[in-house]
Parts: sequence; C-alpha cells; structure tokens
Amino acid sequence: MKQILLITDGCSNVGASPVLAAAHALQDGIVVNVVGVLDYGTIGELGGLEIKEIAKAGGGIHRIVGTPQLAQTMQMMTRKTVVQTIQQAVNKEIQHILGSGSLEELPPDKRSQVVEVVDELAETSSLQVALLIDASASMKPKLAAVEEAIRDLMLSLKARLGSSKLSVFHFPGKHSGEDVVMDVDWTSDLDGARGMFSRLQMKGATPTGPALLKVIEFYRYGTLEGNQSWQGDSSQEEGMLGDYVV
Amino acid sequence: MTTLSNPGYPPGTVITGKWRNSRYIVERMLGKGANGKVYLVHRAGVRGRYALKVGHDALDLQSEINVLNALKEQMPDPYLVEADDHHDGSHEVSFYVMRYIEGSPLHRFIRKRGTEWVSLIGLKLLEKLSVLHASGYAFGDLKPDNVMVSAYGRVELIDYGGVSSFGRSVKQFTEWYDRGYWNAGSRTGDVSYDLFSFAVMCIGLLDEKSLREASCQLPQTRSVADLQLILRRNPVFKPYAVWLNKALCGNFADSREALNEWKKRMYEGTVKSARPIPGRTPRWLRNAFALSLVIMACAVYFFFRS
Repeated sequence: MKQILLITDGCSNVGASPVLAAAHALQDGIVVNVVGVLDYGTIGELGGLEIKEIAKAGGGIHRIVGTPQLAQTMQMMTRKTVVQTIQQAVNKEIQHILGSGSLEELPPDKRSQVVEVVDELAETSSLQVALLIDASASMKPKLAAVEEAIRDLMLSLKARLGSSKLSVFHFPGKHSGEDVVMDVDWTSDLDGARGMFSRLQMKGATPTGPALLKVIEFYRYGTLEGNQSWQGDSSQEEGMLGDYVV
Repeated sequence: MTTLSNPGYPPGTVITGKWRNSRYIVERMLGKGANGKVYLVHRAGVRGRYALKVGHDALDLQSEINVLNALKEQMPDPYLVEADDHHDGSHEVSFYVMRYIEGSPLHRFIRKRGTEWVSLIGLKLLEKLSVLHASGYAFGDLKPDNVMVSAYGRVELIDYGGVSSFGRSVKQFTEWYDRGYWNAGSRTGDVSYDLFSFAVMCIGLLDEKSLREASCQLPQTRSVADLQLILRRNPVFKPYAVWLNKALCGNFADSREALNEWKKRMYEGTVKSARPIPGRTPRWLRNAFALSLVIMACAVYFFFRS
C-alpha cells in the first residue's frame, strides 16, 4: 500500500494544480491524505477548499488541526487509510462474488469473519508512506512539531507486523528549478536521522502540485533524479519550439 | 450542546435491530468515544437498562465486536449483549448493546472519594486486566475515562475499541498513558504496555500536577526517568513506588505476577501502617512517666528514712 501524506498550511501558488497531481497519484494506486496545520488565525477559505479537494482527488482524507494534535492525527489518518484501502479491495471482491452489496450489508456473522480478515491484512500488509512537507515561510515555526509528529508516526508504524517504510520530502527547494527536496529516503527506522529539516531555506513560493508530481515519480522510479532525462527532453522540445518561432 | 452536524439521537428514539428485531429506546447519551456514541437505553417492554454503542464506521465497530465476542467465553458475566444494524432514516448504522455500568470514571471517583481508594481499585483493575491478558489481548487505551467505578469500588473496563491481540500494534492510545510518548518502548500491544499505562494512570491519580509538568517538556527528552522522579519526590507514592517503578520499566513477567505483587505490597502497607500506632508512645508521655518514677522513688526513700 502506498500513501502520500501532505502537510501544509495554506494554498499552493506555483505550477501545476495539486488537485490534478493528487488525481494522478490515485491513478498510480497512491492515496493522498492532507493535514492542514493551523496554530493561529485561519487557513483561509481558499486554503481549506484546496486541502479538501486534494484529499478528495487523491482518494484520501483531510484534517485541519493545531500542532498539539498533529501527531495523533497523522497516526489516525495513516491507520484509517490502510483499513479503507483494504476495505475497498474487499468490497470489490464481495461485489464480484455476490453480484452486489458491500461489507456493511453482510449479515453480522459473515461480516465478523470478513472484518477479521481485513484487520489481519491491515496489520500485516506492507506499507509505504511518503511525507511531503510544505516548508514555505509560514510553516517555519511549526516544523519542529512536524518532525516530532513524523517520529511519532514511525513509532506507530514500527509496531505493525507488516513491513512499514517512511520517506520525507519538503518543498520548495533551494533554487527555483527544484520543486522538492528529499530529506529521508525510504526507511523503517528514524533513529539515525536527527534534524530532518536542518538544511532548509524558507521561501515564499508553495509549489504543492509540482512537488506532489515529483513524489509520484519517486514512487515510480525510486529516485527523484529518475525524471532528469525527461527534463532534458522537455528542454529539447523547448529548443525545437524556439526554432519554430525563429 | 451537540453540534448540528453531529446531533446524536434524542431521548425516545427507537433503535430497531435489522437482523434480530430487538427494539431499544434511547434514554440519554452517555458519552462519545473515538469511534462511536454510547447511549443509555432500555429494551422495549422490559425493565433492564443497557448501554448501546452506535458506531461511526461499521468496520471499526465490527472489529470491536469481534474482540468482545472472543472475550465472551472468558468472562464470568459477559459484557456484550448483542450486535445489530439499524436504519435511522438516512442511512444504515451498526450498533452493539452492552451491560450498563452505573458509576463514574475513575478520576472523578477518586477526586470525590479520596486517594485511599487507589489501592483497592488498582487491585480490582489489575484483576480485570489479567483476565483480558489471559485471553491474549492487550487493552491498549487504558486511561481514567475508560475505567468505570461504581459504588464501593466495583471496577469495569469500558470502550474496547483499542483492544488488540498481543504482538499487534496498539489501535488507539492516549498520549499521557502511551509507552511511546514517554520514549519508553514500542507501541506493540503486550502485557507491559497495559501495565505501563496503569502505572502512569496511578501517578496521574495521586499527583496530577507533577505528571502534567513532566509531560510539558521537549518530546525528545521525555523519559521514564521523569516519571520515576515524581515517584521519588512525592511521599504519597511511598506504598506504590516499588511496584510502579517495576511497571514503568516493564519488569513484570505477566499481569498475574503484577497482581500478586500489588496485593502483597498493599496489604503489607496497611499492616505496617497499622502496627506502629499502638506500639509507639509519645515522647512526652514516656518522659513524664520516667519523671513520676523518680519522684515516687524519692518519696519512698524519704518515707522510710523518716
């Protein structure tokens, strides 16, 4: 099972639509969950709407919380999504076998058996969660809490019977071409990684969409650089286009 | 006040089981849990009162029901009455019916009746836990809100939503009582996870202020040592300290051992504290007695000399 957990505090303002990017993720079998972190003030109507839309497009859930509830919320969302993913697969099977219906419509004794299987799978299946952190200027005071919440999530994942891996990214990068930076590669142990966000440079831009696309590529190719050849191609195309214009 | 989006059922609502056709009438809401609302109900036509839990999610509720069903065989008086679905006009909801336990949550009971009840209630709670543990389950989300105490210290665990088999990850937990929160170990459900929560709960009941202070520091420096410090600092913990220390460090082999040791220490404590009272005479009385002996000796001496 693959998940992306986006942690942000506002609206994207650069590049491709994050809602479209989330829809792409779901197409690749990656569920996108979104947490809006809010300590003071409001997230804004637009920001709130975008958070909701991204989660909907990505087949996931969204929550808006303050930093004290962040750890608990991330843990709950991840767990819930695992169960939901399995439930969807199980419902598909039920429909396949019975022609129609879902888990909820089964009689109690049958449902009890099915849920036992769902619980078993939720605990034992392998899980990957890519955390994508909005590191724009307004997020800076919250990053310590975010890092703690990530460690806490790892602790919960470690307790699972199935293999659980976590990776951490933040956006934007140092220069304008860099949409996302990897902080932690796939790992099942964060003990070695102290100070995840130490080499951070805060900028105003929030390229949520492009960053999401990069993480999807990371899932696909296992590296952020896997897309460099493609970038090369695009610059070539640009060159060709330039030729045409001339 | 309840919010508009989440109104719950008003008193008088009839909840009808789809599969077994039992009818329950809502008296009032008892509380809201992580995955459902609990109502006080009575069965139509019958006097008995029950607690009825309506789940937010059929799947979550079913896995709770599964645990309760598995426990049914082990428990002397079963907790689960029945489980069913109800169509509430807009959609189908799952519910289960359990024994109604009249009482108050642990922290309120202690606040009202005094901390001297901790030893007895702790004992009863450990008994409950050891039954659960003997069946291969960890309770998980052990906290004062999930422990109901009725009159004269009868104890009952409520909300089995966090129960998981040994070796599985804990499904639900609450920061303060979570072993992981104190950097004291994994979030895998096992005997020592529950005993750890139990120990933190005792600390909170006897000295909530210190526990709150300890929990306020930086997450990476939080540790069992902070909890142990509370035990050393406050004399109220004297009879409990050794036991609590052992639970915090995960040094009990199983909950039977923990239960027996609790019993031993608590009863030893009462015997010890009871014995010195007749034995120890105040110093002023002893001195006065000595003085009176001297005076008498003098009086006798002068009497015979004269």
